[in-house]
Amino acid sequence: MNTALQPSTSMPWFDVNKGILDRRIFADPAIYKLELERIFARGWNFVAHESQIPATGDFFMSFIGEDQVIVVRDRKGDVQVLINSCPHRGNTVCRAEQGHTNSFFCSYHGWNFDLDGRLVGMPGEEAFYRKDIDKAAWGLTRAAQVTSYRGFVFATLDAAAPPLEEYLGWVGRLGLDMMASKGELEVVDGVVKNRLKCNWKLAVDNLYDWYHVGVSHGSAMRLGLLTTEGNAPDSQMVILGEYGHGIGGPGISEAQFADMESRLVHGKAGEPQWYDRTGINRLSAEVRAELGPVGYRSLGHPSIFPNLWIALTNQICLRIPRGPFETELWWFTMVPKSLTAEQRREAVFVATHYFGPAGLLEQDDGENWSHSTRGAQGSVSQRRPVNYAMGIGQDRVYEDSSGQSAIETVVNEHGQRWTYQAWQEWMLAEDWDALKKNHSQPPRGSV
Amino acid sequence: MVAAVELSISERVQLQFEVEQFLYFEASLLDERKLDEWLNLCAEDIHYWMPIRRTTTAKEVAREFTAPDAMAFFNDNKAMLALRVQRLSVGRAWAEDPPSRTRRFVSNVRVLDVVGDDIRIGLNFHLYRTRLDSEEDSWYGRREDVLRRTPNGFNLAQRHIFLDQTVILAQNMSNLF
Repeated sequence: MNTALQPSTSMPWFDVNKGILDRRIFADPAIYKLELERIFARGWNFVAHESQIPATGDFFMSFIGEDQVIVVRDRKGDVQVLINSCPHRGNTVCRAEQGHTNSFFCSYHGWNFDLDGRLVGMPGEEAFYRKDIDKAAWGLTRAAQVTSYRGFVFATLDAAAPPLEEYLGWVGRLGLDMMASKGELEVVDGVVKNRLKCNWKLAVDNLYDWYHVGVSHGSAMRLGLLTTEGNAPDSQMVILGEYGHGIGGPGISEAQFADMESRLVHGKAGEPQWYDRTGINRLSAEVRAELGPVGYRSLGHPSIFPNLWIALTNQICLRIPRGPFETELWWFTMVPKSLTAEQRREAVFVATHYFGPAGLLEQDDGENWSHSTRGAQGSVSQRRPVNYAMGIGQDRVYEDSSGQSAIETVVNEHGQRWTYQAWQEWMLAEDWDALKKNHSQPPRGSV
Repeated sequence: MVAAVELSISERVQLQFEVEQFLYFEASLLDERKLDEWLNLCAEDIHYWMPIRRTTTAKEVAREFTAPDAMAFFNDNKAMLALRVQRLSVGRAWAEDPPSRTRRFVSNVRVLDVVGDDIRIGLNFHLYRTRLDSEEDSWYGRREDVLRRTPNGFNLAQRHIFLDQTVILAQNMSNLF
């Protein structure tokens, strides 16, 4: 019996007060299996952007945990999220990553499903089944709920999940608004995918990690692709939201906005083309009003729990679990439709060269995460918990009169701690009712 | 443009020999980590591109690769290639420290056509990479290169790499193809 799965305390894996984490959560197959059930099959998962499937019959293949799902535009124009498994024998009914189709036809025996998942027919319905099959009961499994937030399509496999907007809360919505406020977005063709030998959570917690940049990405810093000024280690802002969402990274002042304006709008001689253009839309009064008095000052990385990172480079990244020791990274690049051809070229150029397996930043990340995963597997190394304690108890949550709140501080690990605190609560909760009752509200006061 | 088949057999034999010797030479520079020397072989207007490949149905196989203006694994000009090479010399380029060990093979080399000084060729490649004690990556694919005749020998004016993988089954592509 796996004692890790029969916890006798409220903090079996992560000591919230000390910031100490049991690293076996990166290696234990039983914990991984429970994550698939209690996190991925329960939460809302980003599956696609609406611009990827504009027309009826357009589909994109995605994942919720290890359940492969077809995201498809049906005949009514609605987005359906269907589990890619024929109820007859379990075979997949679609094997392409994306495309256009009139129906999903199982290659095993020919059961045929409409774009909304309804079973419309099969060979031998009269001759072999003798009409004794209830087709209405044997369609593809549909996601329990599908909702699009400003073009970002999310699905949950749990009917008891709260509505998406409630799940996201103001922090999750703010993270998506940071992208959506750039204008009507479209995904640039080509999702960049590669597979790492790491536990998915190590990839997720890295998005809050502004401590690793100077070391892990030291070569990129030395080439001028990243700057200490841009990373703002002494001007960090962390925004924490219900259910594990958060935003962490540079928080910029009015003076920094003025400098950004001079660089981005008026240009600066000799400025490398790599400088961060993320902030350019924050100069507009409408966008500032939309993101709120705290939100508009954050140039941090939003995280939608469990596994969506909204990056600064017109990109978002899914961290898809592929077993306890493997993770797929999927980079979606999305740009405003309003960009000029030249602006679009530049956005695609930056997206191509920062992230992805050949990206000048990201190629140095994978081995750190895979070796951290390896470090969770040694029979002795795994006994030693790992340290997520940076800055614990040192900071305060600032509450703005607007209702928004943030921690303003130096480089820290508040976001990572919040992730594992939420992860632990998700893992301990039997179901949505329990999670709703027993999850932490974002901290106030000292943090 | 002169299609290769329009050349005489002796011209084709000579060209084939020259092209293959160049390919072996530049592959050896990459395998031996002589990246500055390799970069010197690249033309100023080189286009170094690896589109993303997707699994599609047979009916939609024309959409298998992303277009040049869409996302790609590599979409480099000479300045970007120089940055990749420079990255490895400035320190803290962990993906290649300790360095990977690579072995490149090219085969099925065909001269497709000749336009002035530019010789367009198609070939198959295998790039094997191993690092540390047990990491192994193996990439197969097709390339469409353009070799340009100069007074100092061939330059590489185009490298278009069509990989056989869709999801890259490697933690990175810190090497050149």
